[in-house]
Amino acid sequence: MNFSEYVVSRWDTLSLAAGEHALVVGVAIGVSTAVGVGIGLLAHDLPKTRGISLAISAAILTVPSLALLTLLIPITGLGWGSTLVALTAYAFLPIIRNTVAGLRGVDASMVEAGRGMGMSRTRVLLKVRLPLAWPLILTGVRVATQMLIGIAAIAAYVDGPGLGTQIFEGLSRLGSVNALNATLAGTLGIVVIAVLFDLFFFAVRQLTIPRGLRVRS
Amino acid sequence: MTTATLGAGRPRSLGRVPGLRYAITPIALCGVLLALYAWLGAQNLDSIESRSLTREVLFAKAVEHIQMTLVATALVVVIAIPLGIVASRARNRLITPVILTVANLGQAIPCIGLLVLCTFLLGVGFQTALVGLVAYAVLPVLRNTMVGVQQVDPALIEAARGMGMTRGQILRRVELKLAVPAILAGLRTALVLTVGVATLGAFVAAGGFGELIINGLKLNRMPVTIAGAVLTASIAFFIDWLGGLAENLLKPRGI
Repeated sequence: MNFSEYVVSRWDTLSLAAGEHALVVGVAIGVSTAVGVGIGLLAHDLPKTRGISLAISAAILTVPSLALLTLLIPITGLGWGSTLVALTAYAFLPIIRNTVAGLRGVDASMVEAGRGMGMSRTRVLLKVRLPLAWPLILTGVRVATQMLIGIAAIAAYVDGPGLGTQIFEGLSRLGSVNALNATLAGTLGIVVIAVLFDLFFFAVRQLTIPRGLRVRS
Repeated sequence: MTTATLGAGRPRSLGRVPGLRYAITPIALCGVLLALYAWLGAQNLDSIESRSLTREVLFAKAVEHIQMTLVATALVVVIAIPLGIVASRARNRLITPVILTVANLGQAIPCIGLLVLCTFLLGVGFQTALVGLVAYAVLPVLRNTMVGVQQVDPALIEAARGMGMTRGQILRRVELKLAVPAILAGLRTALVLTVGVATLGAFVAAGGFGELIINGLKLNRMPVTIAGAVLTASIAFFIDWLGGLAENLLKPRGI
């Protein structure tokens, strides 16, 4: 059985695994974007909070993924729970870092103009700083997503969902007929998901960046 | 560059006591390892667990893990930095976008997939894990080297040329020195990444702490898994800390 025959004959399994892979990454990235941007909004002006939140999220990213996933087993069990928690935790650093950098990088004269128009601090933050920082925040989310797609493959070892199951299946049946096909299907499928996510972010970028910013850059 | 000259050059930064910040990581790591030791001691280990967690086994796994990481990183340095320098030269500018694209796409290839595919070509063992690790870490270092050399201010290069330096001298004494922070940042990231991916080396029978994690999971012996996971994480933190120290020591004084 060659590779294309394998993909055709296992299409149901593969497409389900791919869907789950995308879903688990999507949910994790959604949660950590909401929390991460929130933390960034609160912490960008407080040096101490900012330092602590960045240090903690950097520390999380230092923990090897297989170690974090297995350490979570006693707490969140095998499967979706551990996978989601680990993926969400890993995504914080790029998102918080870019949010803080974006919010702090806004030209002081813009902020002053907003204040001069009689906006409150919160309104300046939401109406001036956030839209101007948005391209950078989106880049952070995109980087985090690419990273999570790769890590999610390892989650299959703790019974997580996704295409990683195909890779581990290939590994455990090393030498048998479809071992290489399964590994290739898992690996290439993950690359395809990564490319699709990238296209998605490209579209989001085009749609959500204010027109004024796009024209300028 | 010797430590002596560096030490002499930075008396002021010593006065500011950056020591406390650098002491936090080792102190915390010692605490975590002591806690692990105490916790394992308090646990009622059965024969499988106590056999998997003897001093000899842990030491052997640590050596395997660190060996894998260091050899892979050394190979990455030898391969990626010269290639990055070549790619940064003006006449090679055309391949810059190609390298950037490949480096970004390469990150999307899951490391476990890469390792298993290497196994099909090379069989199981240390070399396979090494090839996978190197293939995974080469691209980020190469990209950082290239970008680091390219972003050197053209005015500085012009000044160097005006002083009569040859191309080789400019590269060695201006461009590379100024690119050191970027190169080191890339290397540090690669090193921490490699420690993590080396855990997966256990899947292809290359040893390391990953073996404890996997065996513990397979035999349903949680203490073994947790010991493996905590030890891997400790190595990662320790290496990241060393990288931070090295970054600060090797940074050219002017910057």
